[in-house]
Amino acid sequence: MTAPRRTLIGLAGLAFLMGIAAFVVMLNGEHNVHRGAFAGLFLATGWGFVGVGLWVWKQRSAGNIGPLMVAVGLSGLLKGLAFSNDSVVFAIASVGEVLIYAVLIQLLLSFPSGRLETRLDRLLVTIAYVNTTVVQLGVFLFTDPAKADPSNPLLIENSEAAGVLSAAQLDISIALLGAVVAVLYRRWRSGTPGRARVFAPIVAVGGLTFLLLMAALVVEQAGLSSDISDAQTLALFASIACLPFAFLVGLLRSRFSEADAISELLAQLGEGGGRGALRNALADALGDPTLELAYWVLDQDAYVDAAGQPVRVDPAPAGKVSTIIEHEGERIAAIVHSPGLAEDRELVQTAGAAAGLTLRNERLDAELRAKVAELQASRSRIVQAGYEQRRRLERDLHDGAQQRLMALGIDLRMVRERIEHDPQGAAELLDESLHELNEATAELRELARGIHPAVLTNRGLHAALKGLASRSPVPVELLQTPADRLPPSVESAVYFVVAEALTNAARYSRAQTVTVGVVRDNGHVDVEVRDDGVGGADADQGSGLRGLQDRVAALDGRLELTSPQGLGTILRATIPCA
Amino acid sequence: MRETVLIVDDHPSFRASARRMLEADGYDVVGELDNGDGVVAAVEKLNPEVVLLDVHLPDIDGFEVTRRLLDADGASPQIVLISSHDLTDLDEAVCASGARGFVAKSELSAEAISLLIR
Repeated sequence: MTAPRRTLIGLAGLAFLMGIAAFVVMLNGEHNVHRGAFAGLFLATGWGFVGVGLWVWKQRSAGNIGPLMVAVGLSGLLKGLAFSNDSVVFAIASVGEVLIYAVLIQLLLSFPSGRLETRLDRLLVTIAYVNTTVVQLGVFLFTDPAKADPSNPLLIENSEAAGVLSAAQLDISIALLGAVVAVLYRRWRSGTPGRARVFAPIVAVGGLTFLLLMAALVVEQAGLSSDISDAQTLALFASIACLPFAFLVGLLRSRFSEADAISELLAQLGEGGGRGALRNALADALGDPTLELAYWVLDQDAYVDAAGQPVRVDPAPAGKVSTIIEHEGERIAAIVHSPGLAEDRELVQTAGAAAGLTLRNERLDAELRAKVAELQASRSRIVQAGYEQRRRLERDLHDGAQQRLMALGIDLRMVRERIEHDPQGAAELLDESLHELNEATAELRELARGIHPAVLTNRGLHAALKGLASRSPVPVELLQTPADRLPPSVESAVYFVVAEALTNAARYSRAQTVTVGVVRDNGHVDVEVRDDGVGGADADQGSGLRGLQDRVAALDGRLELTSPQGLGTILRATIPCA
Repeated sequence: MRETVLIVDDHPSFRASARRMLEADGYDVVGELDNGDGVVAAVEKLNPEVVLLDVHLPDIDGFEVTRRLLDADGASPQIVLISSHDLTDLDEAVCASGARGFVAKSELSAEAISLLIR
């Protein structure tokens, strides 16, 4: 956060004047038995917070921490004015005298980033502000908190309302302070070692402050003697007076801790260490041994680990948080870390940025491994597909043409036996045999076409695609095909892309028409098969499209399926073809 | 008295040719079946003397059908296994099956069956 110099000077002047005013008012206040001690503590607290706050603000770091500390200081000085003998100053200051606690709660819960990171934090701060403004105004209107003159000039006499509102404010305050102490303690315990070190002074002094405040409220609730109450109030303000310095120590530790972390990281990166060294260096620097790195692979639109295996980043795995790392405006990786580091996201990002160049290099490495892994998977699928294709072929041959030829053999043997004594019967059997022979021939032709269509080799892509179109149950319009012959492997891939698309259109799409276009352009062949069916096809379902993907990928090509529900299906393939 | 035969094979044109051939040579084909699961019930009902049984059926294979037939109570028909594979592929399994014998489909004739069941 930036702040013009004038604002900072103005705030310093305001704090100075309010401090002097509060000091004078408190020394002369008639409803305060320990005037000197209170006046000194208030001044130390107010100026302490404003002074440290302005310094932090000027450093333009730690988000809202600087402005919040200034606000705590000013609201503390405002509280001091509530000791005024003047009824107007007393009234205004009394309405705002507990605001300091709400600002203090916001400051503690947003330390050190300056942001309220969790929903619970925001809820607690909202309750604190409502309790110290709306509820406080109600309490002030119905209660006269002064033990001596001046009396409350806004007082509305209603003892029942006064009792209810005071009790409610006390109960809310005690519960709220208990919750804030618990949240701070948990944050201190669950953070990384570096973070615990940053938090220690704030948790110690802030926790003590809130415990004293709770004790003061309990004493007030129980109506115990004013001596105890005054001693507690003095102790409380002494504790509050120490708080700005606890924050200062915490912030300085935070800076040193970040600087140490980054120095350690850079030192470890300088040592090299091969694959995994970067992850280990980041884990050490950030104090999270469970930290994992995920590299962004643009081609696959996914994250992979150092071995090239897919990694889930968004959403992060259970019990983890992801921080995206960019280098020169380009997303290069994500750090998947423990939730304890989430509040140190800036440190994680700084560490990521410091390791940017190494991350970029390791990403290239991971990208290569991902491609190798994909190639291995694709090769394995091709081998499996080949095996399955051979099995299917064997089954088709066995169940189809082979059975017909067996039957034909039986029939022909019978013809041989009958031909002399029953020529008529033999002729009938020959007719049956010819029928079987034709069926077997047709089945074999269909099988051969499935392995490799002879027409493609003999007469080219246009004739082969026309053949496919003529056999398709859905009307097919063949828009264009290359005039020249393509390399056999490319022609074969194009043929099977179109064949699969037409088969799927006939089986699932309920399309009325299909258009097919094959264009050779600028070193590659683009195939597009478009139907006007129901859409909703899924490339991950069924082995046909996956097999095609592998077939096209084997030629360094790409296959894309677009099939929005109700808007038809488009299958596109782009295959390099020099 | 003509010997009765049940033909079990999932291919209709093969069953038709086998029936023509067997009937021409004096066998009485009392039934046809295209699966293995119903063979035991069909044998109980039709009581054939010979079952011409394809090894490769769509549900259970011919060896399992043979085992079920041999385990079943009542009259046991003589089982002749047939296949489009030749005996070298199936030799051990045929010997262990308890069937009367095996005829490759390419060699199937009434005479080959007669030699096995007599």
